Amino acid sequence: MDKNQKKFYPDYLFEILLVCLFALEGVLIISYIFPPVTGSPVDFSRNFLPRPEWYFLALYQMFKYFPGPLAFLGVAVIPAAILFLIFALPFLEKTHSRRLRDRKFSALVAAVLLVSAVVLTVLSYF
Amino acid sequence: MNNPFSIIDSRLNLSRHYRRIFERPLPEGVTYFYCLGGIAFFFLLVLTFTGVVLSFYYVPSASEAYKTIRFIDGGLPGGASMPGGWLMRALHVWAASGMVAAVTAHMLRVYITGSYKPPRELNWIVGVTLFVLTMAFGFSGYLLPWDQKAYWATTVGTAMPSTIPLVGHFIMQLLRGGDDVSGITLLRFYVMHVYILPLVSIFLLWAHFHMIRRQGISGGL
Repeated sequence: MDKNQKKFYPDYLFEILLVCLFALEGVLIISYIFPPVTGSPVDFSRNFLPRPEWYFLALYQMFKYFPGPLAFLGVAVIPAAILFLIFALPFLEKTHSRRLRDRKFSALVAAVLLVSAVVLTVLSYF
Repeated sequence: MNNPFSIIDSRLNLSRHYRRIFERPLPEGVTYFYCLGGIAFFFLLVLTFTGVVLSFYYVPSASEAYKTIRFIDGGLPGGASMPGGWLMRALHVWAASGMVAAVTAHMLRVYITGSYKPPRELNWIVGVTLFVLTMAFGFSGYLLPWDQKAYWATTVGTAMPSTIPLVGHFIMQLLRGGDDVSGITLLRFYVMHVYILPLVSIFLLWAHFHMIRRQGISGGL
């Protein structure tokens, strides 16, 4: 066997444990500096405009662009279509090449989706 | 006299299975970007540990949830608190964010290296399902502190499906357990968060890892 060939043990396992250690230190430090703040108790009469977690902000922002009877488009149809597209990815790409440059159309769609998610998330802060 | 491990090993044949996992060679081009899935799994372990510890004190009822969260935080008048509770809760919150970030980054890595191509289509489908489950974990967990933010965010979040024609109202009532977000909703979200989602996730993760073992890592380009 090639001497430079990596093995799961010790090479890969060591790399994984190393990054896990960094991840643990990361969350420990952030947790120590920014512990979550518990808000006031539920007040059913005082309507409060909530913000969801950051990973739902794009969805939350898109909801705002579909008022009234069209709301289900932003809430259900578009997210479901995107999810279906992601599920179906291996079956939609015709080429067997794994290189991004051989899958230009797919890369374009992915880039548009990714940029939209980031833009919607940023817009939700304004 | 054999050492204790070899006594067990001679009966259960552990080392053969151990070798199959640990001594398998890796393909060329496996970089640190291939650790992202491992980080996501590691965050899941942190979430499981802190979640179990929090559940020793948390009570999922409309009258007790907020009080027990304040007890965990150490924010009750009189100073009664769960030892180290604030850190367990902080770790649970931040590891959850970390897990969503790691899962997303892992998906991006798999996309860029085209690793979902045949024969690994099924593992991609299982992986995307696990991503959806991760988001569902986040959504259900957000209500549990039962403070203003949690209550009204869930009110908005569960109202969204009600805009779907025909079935929307039914979905909303299924989520809420009634017409409004109430103690029933809290219990439903708790059951989702600590029983249903973990059980489904464990099964899918087993499938995810098992398929990686059978098919190997896809390797660099």
